[in-house]
Amino acid sequence: MNNGEILTVRNLNVSYGEAKVLFDIDLGVKPGQVVACVGRNGAGKSTLLKSIAGFLKPLSGSVTCDGIGLIGLMSYDIAKMGIKYIPQDKKVFSDLTVRENLELGSYATKDYNWDQVTDYFPKLKQLMDRKAGHLSGGERQMLMIGRAILGSPKVLLIDEPTEGLAPSIVSHLRVVFGELRKKSSLVIVEQNLPLICAISDKVYAIKEGRIIKELAGESVKANICEQYL
Amino acid sequence: MMDTQLLISGVIFGLSIGSIFFLMAIGLSLCFGLMRIISLDQLLYYSIGAYITYSISLVTGSLWLGALAGMVVAGVISFGVERFIFLRIYERDIAFTMIASFGVLIGGVGVIKSIWGVIPRPVPIPMVTQISILGTEVPFYRLLVVVISLLVYVAIWLFLNRTIIGKAIRAGIEDVEHVEGLGINVYRLFTTTFIIAGTLSGLAGGLHAPLIMVDPQMGLEVMPFVFMVVIIGGLGSIKGTLISAFLVGQVVSLGSLIYAPLAQMAPFAIMLLILLIKPTGLYGSKLLKR
Amino acid sequence: MKLFRWWRGILLAFLLLAVLRFFLPLPFSNEIIIFSIYTMGCSFLLGRVGFISFGQPAYLATGAYATAFYLFYFGTNPYIGILIGILAGLLISLIVGPLFVRLRSDYFALVNLALAVIIFYMLQKVLVDITKGDNGLWFLTNIASTPVLDLSKPNHFYIFAFLVALAIWALYKYLNDTIYGACCLASKINEDKVKFLGYSNFKIRLTAFVIANTTTALAGSMYAIYLGFVSPEMTSAHRAADPVVVTILGGVGTLYGPIVGAIAYTGMKDLISGLIGNWELFIGFLLVFIMLAGEKGIWGTLEPLLKKALFRKNAFKSE
Repeated sequence: MNNGEILTVRNLNVSYGEAKVLFDIDLGVKPGQVVACVGRNGAGKSTLLKSIAGFLKPLSGSVTCDGIGLIGLMSYDIAKMGIKYIPQDKKVFSDLTVRENLELGSYATKDYNWDQVTDYFPKLKQLMDRKAGHLSGGERQMLMIGRAILGSPKVLLIDEPTEGLAPSIVSHLRVVFGELRKKSSLVIVEQNLPLICAISDKVYAIKEGRIIKELAGESVKANICEQYL
Repeated sequence: MMDTQLLISGVIFGLSIGSIFFLMAIGLSLCFGLMRIISLDQLLYYSIGAYITYSISLVTGSLWLGALAGMVVAGVISFGVERFIFLRIYERDIAFTMIASFGVLIGGVGVIKSIWGVIPRPVPIPMVTQISILGTEVPFYRLLVVVISLLVYVAIWLFLNRTIIGKAIRAGIEDVEHVEGLGINVYRLFTTTFIIAGTLSGLAGGLHAPLIMVDPQMGLEVMPFVFMVVIIGGLGSIKGTLISAFLVGQVVSLGSLIYAPLAQMAPFAIMLLILLIKPTGLYGSKLLKR
Repeated sequence: MKLFRWWRGILLAFLLLAVLRFFLPLPFSNEIIIFSIYTMGCSFLLGRVGFISFGQPAYLATGAYATAFYLFYFGTNPYIGILIGILAGLLISLIVGPLFVRLRSDYFALVNLALAVIIFYMLQKVLVDITKGDNGLWFLTNIASTPVLDLSKPNHFYIFAFLVALAIWALYKYLNDTIYGACCLASKINEDKVKFLGYSNFKIRLTAFVIANTTTALAGSMYAIYLGFVSPEMTSAHRAADPVVVTILGGVGTLYGPIVGAIAYTGMKDLISGLIGNWELFIGFLLVFIMLAGEKGIWGTLEPLLKKALFRKNAFKSE
């Protein structure tokens, strides 16, 4: 029934008050897959991720993870089930230290193995006692991904991870995403086409709240994706 | 010039009254910081704390037992109120929670009136010991109140900085959605915070009871001062609340030494002045959403 | 035709009021009218600008006491009294306004409430020599008869209040429809973007604040003349929530909400306090119940239904 998909979205309709934003979205993610969503600003990509993560209540449709329906669950329960949403605002808890930020990630998931985080992001090791508010944009993104991967989530929903980051950090993240897919599936909303083409197995092009194209395998190429941006 | 004796007893009076303000304002401030509600019903828990203290100390003769019971009862009632009222309306606009809490306050005052009557009741001071500071006799109980509130400050600080739940609360004050996104049940945090706030308000009432008469309107009488403390300190800041509580306490006490109506007017003037300079209060953060 | 459509809602609301006049006792009708004027300002602030004002009693008392001072100490003409009340309201909102409108809406609520309590103290204790403290000022016999509309007579007063309310509704209706009303709403929703468009949030909010609170002061001076006495009780903390509750009861941001809310709230309050001695208890639970019950309030729920039933044809045409 779910043809091996770990996360299945069917006929999802979402609205903000009166304005309808998403129309009949279908989406499937298999274990270990990296799925990218491309589209212009305001196409509804972030809304899609937020609805999957339970921050928005959809009008209709279903979201299932491993056969369990997610609609109607509180967002913290969804996160506990292993579907972690990483928002694009790059807001870490700036009043807390890096260590405390990670502690909160551990507290929710009961996973205190921080080596996985520091293996991916060695830089965080030296910053442990720094207030997170004093980190640079790239370091914040590392911290946000770091505290989300605690508890080995099944699916990571990442919203514009490379927005406004230096190229060296982007290429570092690219390596990290490559490693992460060994454990989790990734759904990435991104504008950076080279990155998408390098890592994703499947690309959904979203326009005005509808999925207009699904690209898989060989057709995931920069020149093809470009027309949907 | 004021003579030193009057000045010293005025300062001590201000410190003790500031401590009471602090204990109440901290609840308001935390509730606002985390849940974005203005919980006027804290003033009810204060009255309840005072009345339970009155009743228990009348029966057992011990104020401390009374204050303890007041704290517990206030905490339990705040838990009930949070469960049955606020949990349903957290998502709504701040006006809704504010009016609902106001309704709880007014309704609760009505309940207090029907249980204890409208006549003010005195609560005996547990210790009449006076100690001498620079040649001035000051009541030991007032100093004790100050010490207790400082201990509460330290305890709250430790709770927020050393325990994981406290850290989650601090994180939630910055951004609740992100805390939720990590998989932490924020509603449990809300309930915890609310109970802490209610309990501390109850403690404030219990400690304040011997210094004044308990009467049904006592919550409404301290309301402006508690508000000024919270506004001056900045909503959501614990440190700011402590500082502004003692500031307002001193202004009330020393102001009334100079000219009685100043006790009410001076803190208000100071509040306006501080808002003129910094619209978010002394330590209020501009980063807070909304 | 266009003008008629513009006025339609107002005319309907006032038709309702005029009809009610014959079914309800006169004091109750007067109370309702004054109360809805009182609420208009608060409704505008909350619905259009996004400010919850828990301190409306402060401005109400300013207007009421300004009128009372005039009628008690100086003159006898109630119209001049009302004018003085309006001026006083204008003055106090111009003094505190620039300070208050810079605040975030949560601080605004608290600061206003603090102001109300401070004014209460001032009237009760500090200025006791001229306000006579809790005894209040009684000046019913000082109010002179005036030609045409004699405000010392309750039935004439009703007509006057009715006309004033109509004028104020028209003013707010007009404000809502102008670009200024749109600016207010915009500054409620996203203040940064209003700034980018070249409007000043400060000016928008200050204007709204001054208009709303002058209206409130007007309601205050009408109270004073209608009752013939003022006391600090009108600013007491118990009544701080009244206008906000009525606003929400009627539906936030709807123009006819205040009148519906005022009828409902005044009615409930009168009924309850008539039946039961311990009214505080019931008002408290009533507030909690109203808050739990609905977001849109009475009018907000009824309005779409009514519109569907009454104006179905027109609604289609205008689209």
